[in-house]
Amino acid sequence: MIDVQNLTKRYGPATVVDGLTFTVRPGAVTGFLGPNGAGKSTTLRMMLGLTRPDTGTARIDGHAYGDLAYPLRHIGALLETSAPHRGLTARDHLRWLAQSNRIATGRVAEVLEAVGLTDAARRRTGTFSLGMGQRLGLAAALLGDPPVLVLDEPVNGLDTEGIRWLRELLRSMAAEGRTVLISSHLMTEMALVADHLVVISRGRLLADTGMSDFIERHGRSYVRVRTPEPDRLGRELEGGGATVTRVPGGGLDVVGMAAADVSRIAAAGGFPLDELGTHAGSLEETFLDVIGEGQRVPGQEGRNTHV
Amino acid sequence: MSETLAAVRAETTKLRGIRGTRISLLLFAAVSVLIAALDGWSAKNALESDNPSLRSDFTPEQAGLDGILYGQLALIVFGVLVVTSEYTSGMIRVSLLAVPRRGRLYVAKTAVTALAAVAVSVPVTVLGYLATQAALGSHGSSLGASGVPRALAGAVVYLTLMCLFAAGIAAIARNAVVPLAVLLPMVLAGTHILSLIGATKEMARYFPDQAGNELLTVRSPHTAFGFTVLLAWTVAALGWGWVRQRRWDS
Repeated sequence: MIDVQNLTKRYGPATVVDGLTFTVRPGAVTGFLGPNGAGKSTTLRMMLGLTRPDTGTARIDGHAYGDLAYPLRHIGALLETSAPHRGLTARDHLRWLAQSNRIATGRVAEVLEAVGLTDAARRRTGTFSLGMGQRLGLAAALLGDPPVLVLDEPVNGLDTEGIRWLRELLRSMAAEGRTVLISSHLMTEMALVADHLVVISRGRLLADTGMSDFIERHGRSYVRVRTPEPDRLGRELEGGGATVTRVPGGGLDVVGMAAADVSRIAAAGGFPLDELGTHAGSLEETFLDVIGEGQRVPGQEGRNTHV
Repeated sequence: MSETLAAVRAETTKLRGIRGTRISLLLFAAVSVLIAALDGWSAKNALESDNPSLRSDFTPEQAGLDGILYGQLALIVFGVLVVTSEYTSGMIRVSLLAVPRRGRLYVAKTAVTALAAVAVSVPVTVLGYLATQAALGSHGSSLGASGVPRALAGAVVYLTLMCLFAAGIAAIARNAVVPLAVLLPMVLAGTHILSLIGATKEMARYFPDQAGNELLTVRSPHTAFGFTVLLAWTVAALGWGWVRQRRWDS
């Protein structure tokens, strides 16, 4: 379990993390979301004792990171900005990590096997591809068989097979009752793997909720309808107060009207329907909506956000 | 305590695994012994041909310590690389995740650097001395000659402290370029030139390498002075490096 209480970090006049409080519970994969510059990385670094917070605490199973005697046995972390020395072999890198935390050196071969780097164990990490480097970072995070995992952008550089492997790994880690926190800017990936979401923007908490709850509560569900005469039906629906967007293949996405009402209007106008269904908003759209609201400043409505 | 020992073991593995640090140690050994042998050989030729280019204060004992004056350049590079190898790649963050107490990490790295410097300096100093004497042939002296054991021990102390001084400077700078650009010319020529100019002669005595040279001068009357000055530089560099490391927001 990771417990973040009232965490604040300022760099000069800029408040990067602003009174953040949330808890990451065991037994689930928690996604940590926020646009660029939201303070995700700073929050993770404070959790891991690399950056000193101005106020507040971050505790790993009740302990500040710096107080853990052998931290790699309690929490495995992967950070974007940390990398092994290019002149070290993969095996030597994991060996010194194991030695520093008194982890049995037999684990080195085990984690290399687990991430599929056994054949590259004696290669210098400077010769690794992005994906191999990422696998080595994951091996380092898994080395101490920790009950807590914190992974910053873990799918970066992984191929399709690697992403799938990681997804299954994270799910099984959570199923074993471990605490798993991952940040990613890939919404589709996050939607597939996370059970719970912590969303921040401008250093503040916007949501701390279950994935489906988040989309239900904040997402815009829409009715997808398909007909041979989309233009005419579209006008009818707009006349009924709905917002309509054309999609390729004669489809219309209808927002602001229930499927039953769409059906009634279509029937009254004699439109044949090839498809009619209600869809939940995607994580990506919902996220953008929530972030947009969080960043909206009076007089500056509807600002766009980079994710 | 056992956490610190674990950190020391880990630092040892890093040091042995990283190519740059390993090569600089090997280079130190090779250059020192090779120059010591060449030095003895050319002195022998000079002695036998009554060549006036031989220094008037030449002694076979002192000549036996000349090799490490060149070899030390590689040892300084080693001291710098041990520290800066953490910063060139971002490995420092991995190190701090594994050993979050910054003092512990710093002590472990410094201790391993010192141990490596001693472990290599002892055989290299003795071998270098023996190589010079062997090359001098009948003009050579012995290991047990008056003042020699003390000068050899002083040389090991000198080399170790210079290596730690370099590591401290590197910890302050956190990159290899500035420390090497300052330290190598200083040791190669800078302070020697200063010591030749009348006005700066007195000042030059207080530079780390010039002061430290008293340690490896056979029968020097200023050993204690030299040791104290070099130690003070080393402690100051390591201390400042520690302050930088403690404050650094990674």
